[in-house]
Amino acid sequence: MTGAQAAASPAREADSATASAVKAFQADGRHAEARERYAELVARHQRRAGRIAFHYLRDSAEVDEAVQDAFVRAYSHLSTFREELPFEVWFTRILINGCLDRIKARTRRERWLVAMPESPHANTDFAERVAGSGPSPEDQLLSRERRQRLATALAKLPERQRSVFMLSHYEGCTSREVSALTGLNESTVRVHLFRAIRRLRTLLAPEAARESSGSAAGEKRRVNP
Amino acid sequence: MSILDRMTSHWASTRHLTDDVLAEIWTSAVADGRTASHPHLSACSECRYRYADFTRFLDEIKDDAYAEVDQVMSAERLAAQQTQILRRLEALERPARVIAFPKATRPAISPSRAGQRWVATAAAAGLLIGVAAGQFVDFRRAFAPAHRSAGSFVADSAPVRPGNVTPVSIIGPIDEAFIYGDTELSARSVRDSSLRALDDFTPRARDFDR
Repeated sequence: MTGAQAAASPAREADSATASAVKAFQADGRHAEARERYAELVARHQRRAGRIAFHYLRDSAEVDEAVQDAFVRAYSHLSTFREELPFEVWFTRILINGCLDRIKARTRRERWLVAMPESPHANTDFAERVAGSGPSPEDQLLSRERRQRLATALAKLPERQRSVFMLSHYEGCTSREVSALTGLNESTVRVHLFRAIRRLRTLLAPEAARESSGSAAGEKRRVNP
Repeated sequence: MSILDRMTSHWASTRHLTDDVLAEIWTSAVADGRTASHPHLSACSECRYRYADFTRFLDEIKDDAYAEVDQVMSAERLAAQQTQILRRLEALERPARVIAFPKATRPAISPSRAGQRWVATAAAAGLLIGVAAGQFVDFRRAFAPAHRSAGSFVADSAPVRPGNVTPVSIIGPIDEAFIYGDTELSARSVRDSSLRALDDFTPRARDFDR
């Protein structure tokens, strides 16, 4: 077991305890207290939920809505939550299902709409666009390009491979947890993960090699003018 | 262990791992939630280096993905999202407010409608009574000028003295004959001498009777 997962276990126990408490409050009709306890769960899982939703939807407004919907849905169906599964896994499944529904709806909608040409700042607010004391414009441009390449490479993966890769690598889920989340067999999860990283390596490695060779040449030039 | 086995295992341990094997080692480690282990990795520094490079590549992907999300999901945004979630949860527990369908508002306006109905009935009854009364009472006579009060005409006409009034027939006997087609009468009464000759030429009705 990795350090991160060892640390995750007490957190999961705490989540289960909180979820059970919320369930009990709901059953007693003490809704204000239930909400208060549930807010703890929201605070703990919100960022992670946003991350997962973002990798599915890649649109900040839609991510907001998907995360909100997932938390509201989880709260209203908390009576069906069983303690055998960690709350995180149960909740993530709700979230992923919501994201997939949104993708389906978006695909249906886009069939009837003509896409507008996308501006480089389309996904950022005005406040985020104004000059600040962050990284230099060159760094921003480079990192944006790298993320763009990564997003393109990820988009080329089949749906299942992408989900398995994201959940395993980004969220640190084991194959058993990914299996519970996606409904896939554990061995299928392993196969998807293996294929996903092999494909990503093929898609991204040449560019990475080119970049590293380019930077090495630059350094050489700097050292030996 | 035989010499052949020793040689095979030595050959296997000295042969470098392919990219696919490195991916497999990484997959098993991630899937099981444990650190990567392979006999060759602990023995071969070159493969260990390549494996480290491989994991660095994947970690960079992860870091990029995290950075991208962090850029989009700022702390303020998360706080606003949390507030919104709690507001929605609160709204969820409040009993739903039923917005009345327009049909349900009918009782509210029915009294005025009933009033309108009464007005319509009264108007219809009034009309019927008026028509029935019109059959039995001659209103023209009832409201004739003779029955009007004398005072109401004082200003309109000067006082008329009955002795001065002479009935005059506007239509004379000639014109009457002309109008009613009595041409004979009309011919006899032609007084103009210039027309008498013409009149003589004109055949009469009595000439044809014979």
